[in-house]
Amino acid sequence: MSTEPTQPTQATQPSAPRSPWRDARDRFGRNRAATVSALLLILITIVCIVGPWLLPHAFDSTDWNAMALAPGLANSHWWGTDESGRDLLVRCLMGGRISLMVGILATLSSVALGTLWGATAGFLGGFADQWMMRVVDVLYAVPYLLIAILLVTVLGRDFYLVVLAITAFSWMDMARLVRGQALSLKRMDYVEAARAIGVSQARIIATHIVPNLLGMVVIYTTVTVPAVILTESVLSFLGLGIQEPMTSWGVLIQEGAQTMEVAPWLLLFPAAMLSTTLYCFNFLGDGLRDALDPKDR
Amino acid sequence: MLAYTLRRLLAIVPTLLVVIASVYVLLFSAPGGPFDSEKAVSAAVLANLQAKYRLDLPLWQQYLHYLSNLLHGDLGASFRYADWSVNDLVADALPISLTIGGTAIALSLVIGVVLGSLAALRQNSWIDVSVMLLGNLGSVFPSFVIAPVLVLIFSLWLRWLPSGGWNDFEPRFMILPIALLTFINVATIGRVMRGSLVEVLHSHFIRTARAKGLSLRLIVVRHALKPALLPVVSVLGPLAISSITAALVTETVFSLPGIGRLVVNGAANRDYTLILGLVVLITLVVVTLNLIVDLLYAVLDPRIRY
Amino acid sequence: MKNLLGAVTLELPVSRGCLKFIMLFFMVNTLGLQQPGAAVVPAGVTLHSTQTIIRNNGSEPESLDPALIESAGAANIVRDLFEPLTANDARGKIVPGVAERWSQSDALTWVFKLRPNAKWSNGDPVVAQDFVFGIRRLLDPKTASKYAHTFGDFFANGKDVANGKKPVSELGIKAIDKTTLEIRTETPITFMPGLLANPNLAPIHSKALETHGKDWTKPGNLVSNGAFVLKQWQVNSKVILEKNPQYWDALQVQLNQVTYLPVEDGNADVKLFETGENDWVYQLPPGSFEKTLQKYPAETRNSPMLGLRYYSFQTQSAFFRDVRVRKALSMVIDRDLLSQRVTADGQTPAYGLFVKGLEGAEVAAYDWAQWPMAKRVADAKLLLQEAGVKPGAKFTFIYNTSDYHKKMAIFAASEWKTKLGLQVELEAMEFKVLLKRRHDGNFEMARNGWIADYNDATTFLALVKCDSDQNNNFNCNREAEALIQQGSQQTDPAKRSALFTKATELVMADYPIIPLLQYSLPRLVKSYVGGYSTENVMDRFRSKDLYIIKH
Repeated sequence: MSTEPTQPTQATQPSAPRSPWRDARDRFGRNRAATVSALLLILITIVCIVGPWLLPHAFDSTDWNAMALAPGLANSHWWGTDESGRDLLVRCLMGGRISLMVGILATLSSVALGTLWGATAGFLGGFADQWMMRVVDVLYAVPYLLIAILLVTVLGRDFYLVVLAITAFSWMDMARLVRGQALSLKRMDYVEAARAIGVSQARIIATHIVPNLLGMVVIYTTVTVPAVILTESVLSFLGLGIQEPMTSWGVLIQEGAQTMEVAPWLLLFPAAMLSTTLYCFNFLGDGLRDALDPKDR
Repeated sequence: MLAYTLRRLLAIVPTLLVVIASVYVLLFSAPGGPFDSEKAVSAAVLANLQAKYRLDLPLWQQYLHYLSNLLHGDLGASFRYADWSVNDLVADALPISLTIGGTAIALSLVIGVVLGSLAALRQNSWIDVSVMLLGNLGSVFPSFVIAPVLVLIFSLWLRWLPSGGWNDFEPRFMILPIALLTFINVATIGRVMRGSLVEVLHSHFIRTARAKGLSLRLIVVRHALKPALLPVVSVLGPLAISSITAALVTETVFSLPGIGRLVVNGAANRDYTLILGLVVLITLVVVTLNLIVDLLYAVLDPRIRY
Repeated sequence: MKNLLGAVTLELPVSRGCLKFIMLFFMVNTLGLQQPGAAVVPAGVTLHSTQTIIRNNGSEPESLDPALIESAGAANIVRDLFEPLTANDARGKIVPGVAERWSQSDALTWVFKLRPNAKWSNGDPVVAQDFVFGIRRLLDPKTASKYAHTFGDFFANGKDVANGKKPVSELGIKAIDKTTLEIRTETPITFMPGLLANPNLAPIHSKALETHGKDWTKPGNLVSNGAFVLKQWQVNSKVILEKNPQYWDALQVQLNQVTYLPVEDGNADVKLFETGENDWVYQLPPGSFEKTLQKYPAETRNSPMLGLRYYSFQTQSAFFRDVRVRKALSMVIDRDLLSQRVTADGQTPAYGLFVKGLEGAEVAAYDWAQWPMAKRVADAKLLLQEAGVKPGAKFTFIYNTSDYHKKMAIFAASEWKTKLGLQVELEAMEFKVLLKRRHDGNFEMARNGWIADYNDATTFLALVKCDSDQNNNFNCNREAEALIQQGSQQTDPAKRSALFTKATELVMADYPIIPLLQYSLPRLVKSYVGGYSTENVMDRFRSKDLYIIKH
């Protein structure tokens, strides 16, 4: 009898533990639409950040001899110019910077606020639910135009205040959605069990409710991004958002829509950039949701 | 449930009071007043105007006056539309917005659920991708781009429909506005439905049903649909609210005399009574719709109890 | 035999006497001896069988009460419903309205003879007392009309009545008898007949007002003395007027129905025109003039208006306190480029306070307007140097959100940047906020504009006079003020004009504003709409002067 412990053979070697995140990554990788979208978004972001430094024109240099030029390879205005002779390509990229930043910042803050609010209200139920949701009702009822006018004229026109103004009327949808989910989740057996063993409510919300909401939250986040970007364009249109000469996709599209029949490229290029980006967000969101689905094992 | 409904209905009163008070504060803090116009008004005339509309009283007194009139159902006279009472304006605009917005929501619910289900059942296939591509068109282009394109195609090129206007609920004026709103809402409902149905289809009780050999169609219709609809119903509330009360682009491009135009004109002109009246109306709409949605939750998910 | 009314023909069996009457009638028409102010249908023009028109008004009227109207759109409708003492015909000329003729008994007193056959839509005769009632009501502080001073200040005691210092009974207007009206003015007003053509100065049926109270302007309640009555009014949708059979000149009114639309969006307006749902676009959307002219050459209209686009300096602000700085900025703007390329809608450059077509003073331009741009820029640079403003200096320009104003502002900013090296921060804001900031003087430079209320120099002088409610520039030239006062007292139009011209020269030498362009209204009007004229500098078209040609 040997006294040396025998080495387990290769055949019985246990494989490396599979983490749920690895599963998620694999699932995501299998979703072609989502991976293409993710890559495309990264590409667009890089181009928007780096592009203006590489292009020959400044985004605010007017040229009154080159007003509303059609796109062409002849001059250096590859995407044409707008009605003040400013190069459209560089303006689309600068606009992309603003739209993406506003979109991401405002979405993240509305999602954070909305999810926490809704999860808490849904989970706590009863009196707390009533009052938290009544606050949401009140905010729905007040015309956002008034709030926007007030916020901007009293606090100023800082970029972050535009983000704040947009967040202020974008978080309620997420709150209601999340609350609805939380209402059904809190009846789950594992939640009852956690409560029975005395886990604090805050911990239950954080460790059980919120992760199971993630799927819906991710989807709705990518529904929120387009809404936020479009809200920003409405604000700018009303004189409450990004100031000249700064621009955003929303502003470019709104200007383009006015001259749709005279200078269609002013609408087509920014609209194409916006829609591509938003489609990417959509597919990315769906892909993330599918990947993170706790039930899809 | 009945007790819950009653409690919610009672909560309308404090909600209204808070909303009206908040709007009062907002209105009077916003720069510019209803009488500021290109034609400068002399101090004497301004004083008369203020007195005529009781704007020279302290804010809390105005608030109380407004509430007491409200109890009599009198929403006051509009500033911007000086010959009309707010009651008249709202009574004329509401049916139009309700019809257009309501029809659009109903249509987008049906179409969105169908599209979302189709995509979910064929998850990750090319059907999924193309259905989502088509369905999401309405959310990647701003409404002020889609609307003129619709007008270009159907009014100018095909000459099938008028490019705008309104005449007493004639269907031909309603088709394009409803189409626009439906197009936009289908995107959200479709995506939420897809995600939700996918999640439900992966849950245990569905797995069990499939293991037992039930047909997919039976499973979806009888077992999966109800829980999957819960998030859809959640987003339906806000979509319905905005389609009815905030369809500004639709009303502007198609020249519809609806609520959205009244809201924006009221805010832009600081028409205090009009805004307050609209806010009261919108609060009632919001509270009612949210209540209906919450009650639907209980119908769709028997675990939810109030 | 071709007839002008499109209805009666000679196929009908008519008696000799009747025939004579008909021939006389036609003779009167063709010889132009008709009653003034009628729809002149030229010989050889066949009328369409349906005489209806759809006009876009640009916005929903704020009211149809003549005392409370402010916007051009509301004035258009009220002009069809009510007829004042005088009126503007399609070419903008003053013609008799309810008043058949008028005369001056002295420099300050006018006597108007009303026509005895003028009637209200309910059959009651229009009497002088109706005008007294209407105009007193306009000035009455209780009515709180925003136009009380604009027109009221011209009447004797008008200013005090409008301020509430004197009772309305002391206003300089009196009914001598049913058909004679006497008006006394505060100072000699040579353009009084023109002033009285304003729809704000309409007569009002006092009984109708008493019976219906605040609902008196609703369809069914509104009693009008104009060519049309109010048939239907749907807010934000349409206003429909129908021919008034009781109108004294009803025979000459061709249109049976007029529909006014309140469409604000220029693109939506043009779309309605293109699909045949609109005969008259209010105003073309900015930037579309050239393309529209190409597409619809016969139907594109563009006539100059009595309006001025300008920028106001806050002459008390730190940056613009020095007149040299103001002059420099005004000099370097290339207004030719601005009007031909940037706005490109047929507006003409303005280098002075008054615009072409205005009566009561001479249209003058700055001397440097004729200089080549290079010289202007060189001089401007010197001026800035003297004033101590260095390149790179910054100031803020405020304007209300609108693509049109934005385009002009971008142009101006680029002119000041490239030619003078100044950094301009553009700030767009909501209209009400702009109004407040202009009124409070809380700005450095602001976008501004003015359209004449009546055709006389005084309407523009209000923009630069000391202590005027319309003066957003906070400037005051006492010397010019004295000249303006003198001018107001003058009875001789030539001397008055000279005084006003000199006064304006003095004020404009202070450079309180930068005049830029004379307003014009580019629009589309269907070619089958007869009666449209490009000479109408105040854009006041009565529907009674329009007709529909056969098409």
